[in-house]
Amino acid sequence: MSMADAASGPRGWPSGGFEAALWLLGGLLVAFIILPVVRLTTTASAASVRHAAAAGPVRDATLLSLQDAAIAAVAATVLGVPLAYLLAARRFPGRGLVQAVVDLPLAVPHTVAGIALLFTFGRAGWIGAPAGHLGVSFYGSQWGIVTAMLFVSAPFAVNSCRVAFEAIDPKLERAARSLGATPWLAFRRVTLPLAVRGVLTGAVLVYARSISEFGAVVILAYYPATAPVEIYNLFLQSGLTQSAAAAVVLLTVALATFLVLRTLASGRLLVRFDRAAY
Amino acid sequence: MSGSTVPPIEPGLMVRELAVRAGTFELRAVDLDVAAGRVLALLGPSGSGKTTLIEAIAGLRPARGGTVHLAGRNLTLLPPERRRIGVVFQDGALFPNLTVAENVRFGLRARGEAGTDRAGMLLRRLGLAQLADRSPRSLSGGEAQRVALARALAIQPRLLLLDEPLSALDQPAREELRGTLQELLAELAIPAVYVTHDRTEALTLGDDLAVMVNGSLRRTGTAREVAASPGDPAVARLLGWLELGRGTLSQGQVRIGQLTLTLPGPASDHRRADLFYRPEDVLIGPDNPQAVAAGCYAARVERIIPATPLAVISLAATPAVTVLLLHRQLKQLGLQEGARVNVVFPPEALHVIPLADPPEPQP
Repeated sequence: MSMADAASGPRGWPSGGFEAALWLLGGLLVAFIILPVVRLTTTASAASVRHAAAAGPVRDATLLSLQDAAIAAVAATVLGVPLAYLLAARRFPGRGLVQAVVDLPLAVPHTVAGIALLFTFGRAGWIGAPAGHLGVSFYGSQWGIVTAMLFVSAPFAVNSCRVAFEAIDPKLERAARSLGATPWLAFRRVTLPLAVRGVLTGAVLVYARSISEFGAVVILAYYPATAPVEIYNLFLQSGLTQSAAAAVVLLTVALATFLVLRTLASGRLLVRFDRAAY
Repeated sequence: MSGSTVPPIEPGLMVRELAVRAGTFELRAVDLDVAAGRVLALLGPSGSGKTTLIEAIAGLRPARGGTVHLAGRNLTLLPPERRRIGVVFQDGALFPNLTVAENVRFGLRARGEAGTDRAGMLLRRLGLAQLADRSPRSLSGGEAQRVALARALAIQPRLLLLDEPLSALDQPAREELRGTLQELLAELAIPAVYVTHDRTEALTLGDDLAVMVNGSLRRTGTAREVAASPGDPAVARLLGWLELGRGTLSQGQVRIGQLTLTLPGPASDHRRADLFYRPEDVLIGPDNPQAVAAGCYAARVERIIPATPLAVISLAATPAVTVLLLHRQLKQLGLQEGARVNVVFPPEALHVIPLADPPEPQP
């Protein structure tokens, strides 16, 4: 029996009242999210959106955001998968502490994160200074943008992968080992293919979070301007109407890529991918 | 590590003083021998450490001490992938992302032996050929265990470890696969360890029997020996002996409640002992039917449970006794609840387990 069957069942008022409350409160939240988005898209005329999309600064900023968010997603996955696997499959002292550290960026205001990153990756920072000698500057560069994006969104990659790894029966790896697979082979042929959905979902979440990041990016790398920074600049310089058109451009691009990636990560297309990974 | 043991020349399994810790659970100094071509049934209740022991033998759990030799080779420090030990897990542990055939070929590919047709042969031998392209998710429990067995055998293991492979199956599937296993294990020229908590499985499939309780092996021997003479209360219970009570042996006799038993063998005076009986070997009837009896007393039939294959008769007396009867006997005797019957204990129905002597009383 499905939840809906159970709710509309013969048990009378508690089910009816409960059902109404579920729909009312749930609907309120959906409306609250969708209303500003609809208002924004109706404010900007099609012509102004086309104009904004064609304008050099908005276009460049949007492309920069897409590119750096993608780099952040790849970096978070490459670094996040091993950590997630350790957290899921190994028991070590301080494991709880490591998990808390992973979640830290979720709890820190992003402007605070930006300032902390600036102290570390800025020109005089612990990492920024030696990197500067090697010709790498984080302050006001794409390196800085990716660093800020990675910091605020890495927890999504680690947690999504960890949940996926935890859901796998540890006996499967043991079976693989007993059959002659090295730990790496067991991971590559059994564990990773079974966790691939969680890994891709994590990457998509990192991508989405990175595209929308403003606070940490604006402090560590104000220039080159990512789309959110560019929109904020337009808002300050030209006002609400001008920034609305650019905002619609970013909204459309971000939503479209997010939906495509999310469908890929959770959809049936992966059934084949699972098998291909063997 | 024990330094005094010499590796055997025979191609069997030799475990010496193996100690393993799994969380708070500890396996203490286990010794185990399984000759090639023989099946050792490792019997024990849930949580007694059976799985921990075979995981340690397979190298899936680090040993804290002791050695594992297989075919004369010391495997103790080798990782699992270099031991060539086939393991069949409780619920199959098939790789759900691979097909049946890919599961069976997994070990061959991992070992770079993918060229052989061993996988196809095993699929046919175990009646799985038509399932080769199916996903493990679509298999019944019995089919999944057959695949797990084929997968473990495909690597031509030097030892086969089976961890309760039938326990997740329903009755008909269990009986069918037990038959297959019996045939297959008889064909194999390697040692095998069969872990179970079911005495019927243990006695059906095991040539030898090792009984594990609370992390240590209480009793090992041939299946027949151990079943006939368990020698330990926990082992006796696991093998279907029932407890009669505790009494003091005096001049070859022991008294428990209203029952006085004369025990065969040399009289060991004033030793306390636990007495066990086989419920299917106890006789009941309206009169005293047998001359050769260790003891007899009168009891009231309290309850008759028409279980299969044997009926269960609960008798009220001191000590209380449960008797198993063929349904034919039940009919012949015309037993009714509330009737009074004579209960006779033949000598072979009894097993005496002496207790360690109590310490001398302190003055």
